[in-house]
Amino acid sequence: MKLRCVVVGVLTAVMAASTAAQKTWTPPRTADGQPDLEGVWSNATITPLERPADLAAKAFFAPSEVAAYEKRVVENANVDRRRSDITADVGLAYNEAWWDRGTHVVKTLRTSLIVDPADGKIPALTAEGERRAAAVAEQRRLHPADGPEDRGLTERCILWPTAGPPMMPSAYNNNYQIFQGPGYVAIMVEMIHDVRIIPLDGRPHLPPNVRQWLGDSRGHWEGNTLVVETTNFTNKTRFRGSSEDLHLTERFTRTDPDTILYEYTVNDPATWTKPWTAQVTMTKSDSRVYEYACHEGNYGMVGMLEGARAEEKNSAKAGAK
Amino acid sequence: MRSITKIGLAMGVALLAAAPVWAHHAFAAEFDGKTPVKLQGTVTKMEWINPHAWIHIDVKDKDGKVTNWMVECGTPNTLLRRGVNKNSVTPGMEIVVDGYQAKDGSNKANGRDVTFADGRKVFLGNTGTGGPGDAPEK
Repeated sequence: MKLRCVVVGVLTAVMAASTAAQKTWTPPRTADGQPDLEGVWSNATITPLERPADLAAKAFFAPSEVAAYEKRVVENANVDRRRSDITADVGLAYNEAWWDRGTHVVKTLRTSLIVDPADGKIPALTAEGERRAAAVAEQRRLHPADGPEDRGLTERCILWPTAGPPMMPSAYNNNYQIFQGPGYVAIMVEMIHDVRIIPLDGRPHLPPNVRQWLGDSRGHWEGNTLVVETTNFTNKTRFRGSSEDLHLTERFTRTDPDTILYEYTVNDPATWTKPWTAQVTMTKSDSRVYEYACHEGNYGMVGMLEGARAEEKNSAKAGAK
Repeated sequence: MRSITKIGLAMGVALLAAAPVWAHHAFAAEFDGKTPVKLQGTVTKMEWINPHAWIHIDVKDKDGKVTNWMVECGTPNTLLRRGVNKNSVTPGMEIVVDGYQAKDGSNKANGRDVTFADGRKVFLGNTGTGGPGDAPEK
């Protein structure tokens, strides 16, 4: 562990000056000359998106602090215990055999994935963003499970909210395989079984009337960094409440043989008062991406709708008494 | 859970360290906290399917009547990475399930705790760094 801390410390110093990192390590090239990002990568990490309140004044851990923090967070998140709140016990009481959230902070040793704003917090919602969030919550309150369309995109196996773009660490299956061919990069996402194909030939985005669940991605290289711009999201693709005008910019930089520094900037003036940026380190994985055929046996959807019908019957009975 | 789920769905986010993340779907919408069940039975099959695996067991009541129950488990990809495979839970094994019954009253439960008859856990987690599923340090 000690050795790891030293390694991580050195890495942080290197990554803090990313241009320096690019000078000191040149990534290998694919057959057609692109910087090589190919392989299976994991972005599992315990580092939260937003900086926790108790770390408000601290953007980075000191290398010596990391081990204790990781131990505390992992034990707290994964401890197998009964919860006194029975609803929480039904919903959340699984030990880490069920999860695969990772056990380490990001290699940059940042205390939050968000690097801008400097406080590590998502900026305030605009008035429109608040109205939209409230409308979604109200719809959910009035119609929690009339039919499958009332349930979230996750439960309907349409989109996983962290699968990207942008790609975020999640509860499990945090695995991505990147493929590169002449003129294209493709990213296969284990959760929940999507492949994003990114043209690199400079073609324009789709016309604005064409909307896609994953948006429409276009990539180009800036030195050793793959820059991907995504627009044309649907008005149902809500990344943390974003609007269909979300403009996402992702940057992939391989900083050493086993690391991609992945950064994304969220620009959606209809939702947030200013743009914000997060960074995640992705680690080369020896695992493989397994198929996650989400609809294969989605008994849960039937179970939830039947549960809602049973609750309605019980409420009607209680009302009749 | 319902309120957590609502927020999660509205915001579309997993709050990692701040709160436990939700699984593929809202267990609390499917299972009833007011009807905990403890089932001891014989495995008839395990379905290795996404988004969640299911174990089927025959449970005999005190009068000898056998009822088949379905028990919801974790996501197969992660279970496999944790070292659980098709040989881990096979027909004929005796297991004990401590969970909650489906809200619709059917013979389904979530696998809150699943143990073999001798008390060993079927699905073992490993608290601490360096456990199974933990990416090797690079």
